[in-house]
Amino acid sequence: MTEIISNKLNPNVLPHLDIWTWDVALYLFLGGLSGGLLILTSGKLLLQSGGLLHPKAPPRDPGLSLQVAALLAPVLLGLGMLFLFLDLELKLHVWRFYTNFNPTSPMSWGSWMLLGFFPLSGLQALIVCRSWFSSVPLLQRLADQAMPYRNALAVANVHLGAGIGVYTGILLSTFYARPLWSSSVLGFVFLFSGLSSAAAVLTLLSSEEERLGHAQLMAYAMAMEGFALTMYLVGGLTSTGSSRSAMWELVAGGHAPWFWLLDVVGGLLVPLLLITLIALRKVTYAPLVPILTLLGSLSLRFLIVGAGQAISTIS
Amino acid sequence: MSRPRKYAMVIDTRRCVACSACVYACKAENEVPEGYCRDWVVQLVEGSFPDLTLTNRSERCQHCESAPCVANCPTGASYHPGDGTVQIDRDLCTGCKACLAACPYDARYIHPEGYADKCSFCQHRLKEGLQPACVTVCPTQALTLVDLNANDGAFERLTAGREVQRDKVHLGTDPKLFWLT
Amino acid sequence: MKRRQFLKISSALFASAAAPGLSWENSPVLAAPEERVVPSICELCFWRCGIQAQVKEGRVAQITGHPKHPLSNGKLCPRGVGGTGLLYDPDRLRQPLIREEVDGKQQFRPATWDEALDLIAERLGYLTAFYGTESVAMFNHGFGASFFKTLFKAYGIHTFSAPSYAQCRGPRQEAFKLTYGHGLGSPEALDVAHSKCLVLLGTHLGENMHNTAVQDFTEAVARGCHLIVVDPRFSTAAGKAREWLPIKPGTDLALLLSWIRTLIEEELYDRDFVEVNTVGLEEVRAAVAHATPEWAAAQTGIRAERILATARDLGRYRNEALVHPGRRVVWYGDDTQRERAIAILNALLGNYRHPGGLLRFSGFSVPSVKFPEEKNAFASFSSRFPLASAPPANELVEQTVSGDPYPIKAWFVYGTNLIHALGDQARTLQAIEALDLLVAIDVLPMEITGYADVVLPECTYLERYDDLDTRSYRTPYVALRQPVVKPMYDSLPGHEIARRLAGKLGMPDLFPDDMEAYLDGRLQQVGLSLQQLQVEGVVSQPEPEDLYRQPAEPLRFRTPSGKIELASAQLAQAGFDAVPRYTPPPAAPPGYFRLLHGRAPMHTFGRTANNRMLGELMPENELWVNAVTGKDVGLKSGEYVYLVNQDGVRSRTPIKVRLTERIRPEAVYMAHGFGHTDPRLKFAAGKGASDADLITHLSLDPIMGGTGMNNNFVTFTRSAES
Repeated sequence: MTEIISNKLNPNVLPHLDIWTWDVALYLFLGGLSGGLLILTSGKLLLQSGGLLHPKAPPRDPGLSLQVAALLAPVLLGLGMLFLFLDLELKLHVWRFYTNFNPTSPMSWGSWMLLGFFPLSGLQALIVCRSWFSSVPLLQRLADQAMPYRNALAVANVHLGAGIGVYTGILLSTFYARPLWSSSVLGFVFLFSGLSSAAAVLTLLSSEEERLGHAQLMAYAMAMEGFALTMYLVGGLTSTGSSRSAMWELVAGGHAPWFWLLDVVGGLLVPLLLITLIALRKVTYAPLVPILTLLGSLSLRFLIVGAGQAISTIS
Repeated sequence: MSRPRKYAMVIDTRRCVACSACVYACKAENEVPEGYCRDWVVQLVEGSFPDLTLTNRSERCQHCESAPCVANCPTGASYHPGDGTVQIDRDLCTGCKACLAACPYDARYIHPEGYADKCSFCQHRLKEGLQPACVTVCPTQALTLVDLNANDGAFERLTAGREVQRDKVHLGTDPKLFWLT
Repeated sequence: MKRRQFLKISSALFASAAAPGLSWENSPVLAAPEERVVPSICELCFWRCGIQAQVKEGRVAQITGHPKHPLSNGKLCPRGVGGTGLLYDPDRLRQPLIREEVDGKQQFRPATWDEALDLIAERLGYLTAFYGTESVAMFNHGFGASFFKTLFKAYGIHTFSAPSYAQCRGPRQEAFKLTYGHGLGSPEALDVAHSKCLVLLGTHLGENMHNTAVQDFTEAVARGCHLIVVDPRFSTAAGKAREWLPIKPGTDLALLLSWIRTLIEEELYDRDFVEVNTVGLEEVRAAVAHATPEWAAAQTGIRAERILATARDLGRYRNEALVHPGRRVVWYGDDTQRERAIAILNALLGNYRHPGGLLRFSGFSVPSVKFPEEKNAFASFSSRFPLASAPPANELVEQTVSGDPYPIKAWFVYGTNLIHALGDQARTLQAIEALDLLVAIDVLPMEITGYADVVLPECTYLERYDDLDTRSYRTPYVALRQPVVKPMYDSLPGHEIARRLAGKLGMPDLFPDDMEAYLDGRLQQVGLSLQQLQVEGVVSQPEPEDLYRQPAEPLRFRTPSGKIELASAQLAQAGFDAVPRYTPPPAAPPGYFRLLHGRAPMHTFGRTANNRMLGELMPENELWVNAVTGKDVGLKSGEYVYLVNQDGVRSRTPIKVRLTERIRPEAVYMAHGFGHTDPRLKFAAGKGASDADLITHLSLDPIMGGTGMNNNFVTFTRSAES
C-alpha cells in the first residue's frame, strides 16, 4: 500500500490539470472545421472547370454552397481565434505571439500560420464570392487581380487547411506530459474530423442535386476519421502504462459513455449508416445526418480536451 | 573564460522531515499568493503496518535541461537563461498555459495576475550571492543548491555513497532535482 | 444561569491608534529607514530562536533565521517564518475589554487601559484584603510573563503555574532532579547531534519542530546514527529509524525496565562510570530481575528478540548512546517513574557529559536588576504532590473549585489558553465559575479570554521588548527581543502593562520608566550595550572547554548522596518506589480506541491555529486511524466524524479521518491544537477537533501532579446530534 501526502496547493494542476475548458475545445473544433472547409472548397475549385485539371476552361459559377463555405473558412477560424483569445490569461500580451517564433512550439507555428491563413483563405473567398461585392469596387478590383492566381491560391489553401486541421491535434500531442494527448495520430483524427464536419456543413448548405455528393464526401471523411480514431485508440492501448490507463479511461472509464455515445455511435456510425441508406434510397435525407456528424466532431474536442486533463500526468 | 553555471538542487530525503519550512519561506520570499505554491512537500509511505518506509521529499520545478515548458512556449516567455535554470519572463507571457500542459512535474501554476509562475531557484537571490529562500531556511539542511559546472566537488561530496534519484528521467527532460535516499 | 457567560462577541469597536507614550517610541531601530532588517527573538513557540525581520514599507515582509543565534543558526521552522501571520492576524485583540452586564446580558465593553487596569487594581485590592494574596494565581506561558511575575511577587503573590510543567515537561524535570540533581532545562542539555545511537520514545522530532533540536536530530541521522524509535505511530522520526518499535501504548516503562535489566545482566553498562558516580545499582538489579525480554514482549507487543537486540545496541554504543528523555511526557500518570527509568538507563550508559550524551549547559551571566522586596510575604502555594517543584496547574484548578485549603479567587492568565491546555475542560470551567476575577492577557481572542472579566491585549513579540534571554545553552548567549514595528491597535507590551498596573497597585517605582534604559543598564554590567544588541540581536560565548567531562574527572551531583541515584532514596522516603515499577495501563473499553495526540510541524499547540499563513498548509487536524481497523469499523479516509469518549463526552467539532498504515490498531492520533470554537477566531473556529474536548480523564502522576492524558478512549459517530 502506498500513502502519499502532499501539501501542494495549486488549483491549476490539482487534483488534476485544469487549464483549458470549453473555449479551447470550441477553438479546436472551429479550427478543424475551418481547415476542413478550406480544403474542401479549394479542392472543389481545383477539380472543377477552370481549376487545376481544366485550367483553360472558364471558371464555373461556384454555386451558393461553395461560396458560403469559402467565406465560412476564415470567418469560423476568426471565431475560433476569439475563443482562444478569451482563454488567454493576459490578453493584453497577445501580440507577444508575434515577437517570437519558437520552432518547437506548435502554438507558435499555429499563430504564424494564421498570418497566411486569413489573407489567403480570405482572398479565395473574395474570388469565389466576387459577385457579392459588386458594390465595393476595391474588393472587385482585388478579386480581379487575384483571379489569374486562383489555382495557385487554391493549392496553397489546401495545404493551409490541412495544416490547420492537423495543427489542432498536434497542439495537444506535443504535450507528452499528458498521456491521452501524447499521440501524433491525434493530428489525423482532428484533420479528418475537421473534414467530416466541413463536409457536413457543405451538406447542410447544399442544393438538392449537390447534397448526395457532399454527403458521400462526409462519409469518406468519417471513414478516414474512424480509421484514424481506431489507430489512436490502438496506439494508446498498446503503449506505456500511462498511455494505456489514460486510454482505458476514455474507452471504459468515466468519460467512456460520452465517447461511445456522442463520438463513435452518434457521430460516426449512425451518420455513416444513414448516408449509406440514403445512397441506397432506403431512407430520405434529413438535416439530422450532418448535424449528428457536427455534434460528434464537437464533442470529440470537448472529450479529448477534458479527459486529457482529467487523466493523470505521465508517470 | 569560466564556464556558465549549471544550477541544480540536491535534496537529502534522509535529512528532510517534511516540516514545510521551505514552502513557507518560499511563499514569503516570492510573495506567492494564497492558495498557490512554488514548492511543496510530499510524504510517501510504502508497505503495511508495521513494515513501513517513509520518504520525505521537498519538490519544486526541476529546471530541466531539456524543458518541455520552454519547448512549448510560443512566445519565449519560458526560457533557459544559461545558468541551468528555467525562468519566466512575465512581460512575454500571454497566459496561454501551454507550459502548464507541457510540464510532466506539474510544477507550474497561473498566478492570479495571469502569468505562469513557478520556482525560479530564487534567481534574484542568486544574483545577490544568496541561496534560494528554501535552502536558507531549511532547519535540516536537506536542500543544497549546487553548480554542476563548478568542478568544486560539491555535488560529488553530497552524493557520495548515496542512491540518487531523479524524477521521470525516462522522459528525457534531464531534470535537475537530485533526491538522495 | 451561569454567573459567567462565555462571551463570543467582542464589541466591534476598533480603536486603531498606536499605543501612546512608550518610552522607546523614538528607538533608533524604529526610526530606521522604511526598509530594514531587525534582529529579534521568535515567540511562535518557546524555543526562542533568533530571527531577522525584514521590514518593507513599514510592514514586516518576511522573517528569517538569525545566522548568529545559536538556537537558529540562520534556520527557522515553519512557525517562525509564519510570524507575520500572527502580527497581521485580523482577529487580534485590539483594545482592553471589560465584561459588563447590560439589561441582564453580559458583554464586553471596549475600555481604555486606565479603566481596565483601575478595575483590576480595585478588585485585586478587595480580594487580597479579604482572602489574602495567596488567593491570586497566575497561569503563564511565554517569555513576556517575567514582568508580571516581578509585579506579583512584589505584591506578595507567589502562585505561578505554567502548563509547561504539569501538562508537559514536569515529570522529566523531577525525574532528572531526583536522579542527577538537576533537570535538563529548555533547550534540553542533550548532545543529540553527536549521538551514535539515539532512542526516541514517543518524541516525534521533525513533527515537533524545535529548531535546533531538529537540526541536531537530522545531523545525527545524517551522520548515520543508529536510531531507535519507540512509538505506536510511524512518526516522521520513525521513518528515519534503523529500528521502529511500534509499542503498545502505555507500556514504555516495561520496555525500559527490560533494557535496564539486559544492560545490567549482560554487563553492557559503563562499569567504571557506574561504580564511581552512582548509587543503588544492586537495588535496581533486584528490582528489574523480573523484566526479562519475554516479560516485556508480553507487555509491549514487541518481540523479545528485538527488545534484547536493541538493548545490546545500546550497550554496544554505551557512552555514545542516548535515550532521549522527550519533552511533553505527561502520558499515563506513571510519567515521573518512566522518566526515572530513562535517567537510570542513561546513567548506566555513562553518557553524562560525554559526546552524544547528557550535557550540562550554562547561561550567559548577565546579573538581573534588583527589584524592590515584596511587601506582603505570605507562604507560597504548597502542593499536595510531595515532589512537585512548581504548582501543577490542574491542582490550582481543583483548589479553585474546592477552596481547600484556602480559596483561590483570582486568576491572571498570561499567554496560555487553559481551556485547551489542561484537559478536563469541564473542571476548568467549573473553576472559572468560582472566580471573582479572571484577567486574561493575550494577543488573540483565545477561548480563555471569552471567560475573562478583563481582557488585556498584549502586542505580539514583533512589537515589543522583553527582558534579555540568557537561558542556558551549549554556547551561552544573551539575546534581545526588540520591537520590529510599533504596536498595532491599542495593544501594549507586557512590560508596559505590568508597569502601569504596578502604578495602580501603589508601586509606581517598581519598574523603570524607560525599558531601553533598563535593558541597557543590565547589558552595561557585562560590557555590552543595548545599542549593540539592537544591531546584532545576540552575543554568544564559545562552547565551554569543560562541556565534556575528562575520563577521570571527579563528578559531584546535587543529590543527597552526591551521586547519580539509580535507586532514589528521596522517592522511597516520600513513599514511592525507589526503582520504577511497571503497572500496565488501563485497557480500552470494547469498541474504543486510545486517543493519542502530538504535534504538527507548522503549529504550536492551539496558539497558531488562527494563523492564516500557517493554516494554509494545515488548516485542520486529521484523525489517524489504522487502515485495517478503520475499514473494519466502516470509516473512510476524508470523511468527517465526531468522537465520543469513554465518559460519553463528544468532540465539539468533527474531524477528518485519515486511514493509514502508520498507527497501531488500538490507538488513534491527532495533532493537538485544533477544534477552536471561539467565533472570534475567524479562521480557526470549527476547523478540526480538539483532543482537549475528550481528555476528561487525567491520570495524575502521584509524584508531581502531572496530568497523564493518554488514558482516554474514543469511538466514532457521524451524527451531529449528541
